Amino acid sequence: MSNELLIILLSPLIAGVLAWVLDIKGVRELIGLVGAAVPVAYLAKLYSTVTNEAITYSIKVSGFNLGFQLNTITWYFAAIASLVGLAMALGMVSTSKSSYDWLFALMSYTGVLGVFLSQDFVGFFLFWEIMTFASFMMVLKRNRHESLKYFVLSVIGAYSMLIAIGILYAKTGALDFATIGKVLYMDASLGTIGTGETALIFGLLLAAFGVKAGMFPLYVWAPGAYSENDQSYTAFFSGVLSKAGVYGFLLLYMLMFYKLYAALGTFHGHMTFAYIIAWLGAITVVVASFLAVLQEDIRKLFAYSSIGQVGYILLAFGIGSGLGFAGGLFHVLSHAVFKGLFWLVTAAIILRTGKTQFKDMGGLAEKMPYTFAMGMIAVLSLAGIPPMAGFASKWLIYEAAISAHMPLVAGSIFLGSALAFAYVVRFLYAVWFGQRPSDLEDVKEAPLPLLIAMTVLAIPNVLFGVAPGIVTGYINKMLGGEVVTGNYYKLVTPTGTYNALLIAIVLVIGLAIAGLVYLYGAKVRKIKVTNTYQSGNPVTEEFNLSIRKNFYRPLAEALGFWLRYSWDRFYERLAGVVEDFADTLRESSYNGNVQSYSWYLAIILLILALWGVL
Amino acid sequence: MISVYYFGAISLILIGLYAVLVKKNLLKILIGLSIMETGVNLLLISIGYVSGRSAPILSEGIGPNQAVDPIPQALVLTAIVIGVATTAMALSVAMLIYEKYGTLNIEEIRRLRG
Repeated sequence: MSNELLIILLSPLIAGVLAWVLDIKGVRELIGLVGAAVPVAYLAKLYSTVTNEAITYSIKVSGFNLGFQLNTITWYFAAIASLVGLAMALGMVSTSKSSYDWLFALMSYTGVLGVFLSQDFVGFFLFWEIMTFASFMMVLKRNRHESLKYFVLSVIGAYSMLIAIGILYAKTGALDFATIGKVLYMDASLGTIGTGETALIFGLLLAAFGVKAGMFPLYVWAPGAYSENDQSYTAFFSGVLSKAGVYGFLLLYMLMFYKLYAALGTFHGHMTFAYIIAWLGAITVVVASFLAVLQEDIRKLFAYSSIGQVGYILLAFGIGSGLGFAGGLFHVLSHAVFKGLFWLVTAAIILRTGKTQFKDMGGLAEKMPYTFAMGMIAVLSLAGIPPMAGFASKWLIYEAAISAHMPLVAGSIFLGSALAFAYVVRFLYAVWFGQRPSDLEDVKEAPLPLLIAMTVLAIPNVLFGVAPGIVTGYINKMLGGEVVTGNYYKLVTPTGTYNALLIAIVLVIGLAIAGLVYLYGAKVRKIKVTNTYQSGNPVTEEFNLSIRKNFYRPLAEALGFWLRYSWDRFYERLAGVVEDFADTLRESSYNGNVQSYSWYLAIILLILALWGVL
Repeated sequence: MISVYYFGAISLILIGLYAVLVKKNLLKILIGLSIMETGVNLLLISIGYVSGRSAPILSEGIGPNQAVDPIPQALVLTAIVIGVATTAMALSVAMLIYEKYGTLNIEEIRRLRG
């Protein structure tokens, strides 16, 4: 029994190393695929066991006892990771030509599984760093500047976590989650750990997990790292690695909930610490969604969109009610599948056209029909159109925000969703419809492995959309109570009911009617750009009416004041100031004059002498 | 009351230090280093002195209890050799510097070196 956990954990890493060492075209792809598929198979096999009892495995490594556990919560996260991991491996068969990619992509896969399965901070931190290192290497190969940004922020996060672990160890004397949780739970009433220290641990862990999740204002690494990468790997990077941060927030709740509640108290009827998380999530949603709307590069658009969507999850966790957790956990799944799908679609587009800007795209729907269909599913799911997984999870988050009486937070979700619709519509029209640029005439459909990969991720989008009860039923098991009731097709919360099957049926009927009208009723007529009018004036050929370029410029102009502020620029300026300061310090003291060094020595000796005398 | 040996030795060190810190001529700095080294050696020797005892050479009538501390003497013997070696090396460096820059003023040398 226990060996299975080890197989799940290590098979991607072993496969990655083998693929890297052998480096034979065809063989490395096969090994990589098998390595990525093994965790899926084992996790599927262990599903029925896990729902009854947790599977644990522990190993002693140089004096540390590393514990791993597969329980309802870790199974959920690991299963999502392995599903997207399999899709990533399938996609990489088409997009990646180097064994370097296989090694580090699969290494980060193992890292992520380790983070989810670890039951103590030693293993957690170890795998966290493996994951960070491997993803850093993936970015490093493509873009040094972006990788450096990712590296610096990751290091800040890692050290924050290490300090927090150190404090927790000093205070509780334990490194495993179970003991820490128990000690902190008891300390909530005893209060031996002070408010300041509790707040410090909270802040440090917030920074540590926030970096990985792309939380405001620590998200600046994400757009660069997500876009300057192998796009199939980005499906995993953005879909699953960001969930490691989300899982960290969940861990924060599991370990410190009562302690934080007792130490930090409440604010306007909400728990203070959860309130902070909720607001950081809400700000992330709004800021990232606005920035996503304004992007001119497909990859950048989805990078910002990914940050925004993870913001929803943080916000949902921040609401802190059972419904909030249910929504957040559901959104973990739906974000992983729709954003993974998006990145695979992007991979296919970039692979076949070699272009990344919206202005070079257009009319690809006829050339890549299957990819278009998959992209359509992803768009519907992200925008939250009913029979898709994205709707069910967002609906739960809305319900949670409304029933928790957080109108402003709920408002930010509404705004974020409206903006999400704005940018996916742009993706839809600019890439798939409209006039095709002449150099895209001989674009072919995406290669077969990539199509299979997209299908792997499209199925859960539709399946869990039409039958959201499958997921909420499992989430009820995770949360240990009937948070969301109903059956497979119907979700019932204290404030509302959502019948997915009914809506799906209505939608299919509606589409069928529209299709009939299109086929038999409507006259289809091709029009030129000049056939359009703008405010009563005819438009000339030169005038750019296309959705492909600067379509949301009016929005950018309206937001001009806010866009002057950028965290990216702020961090760059901060780095500049630090560098200048260090330079000045160095030049004024290290001046090349031997005599001044003698002076330093003499002064230090004098100080030491005085110190000795005093 | 501080012993005159200590006072003298520390004064020599300080005089040497003064030369090193303030003088601009390279040779004067080296002289300062030499003086400082002499002061250090004297200080070490005077630390080992025990009033009224003789040199630590075991011979007729002089046992281990009648001798001063021998360890500083061994130490100073080593230090003198090291001092001479460093001085010789520093002087050769000073010669090379003079050949290259044509001056022994350290500020001048810095300027010429850029």
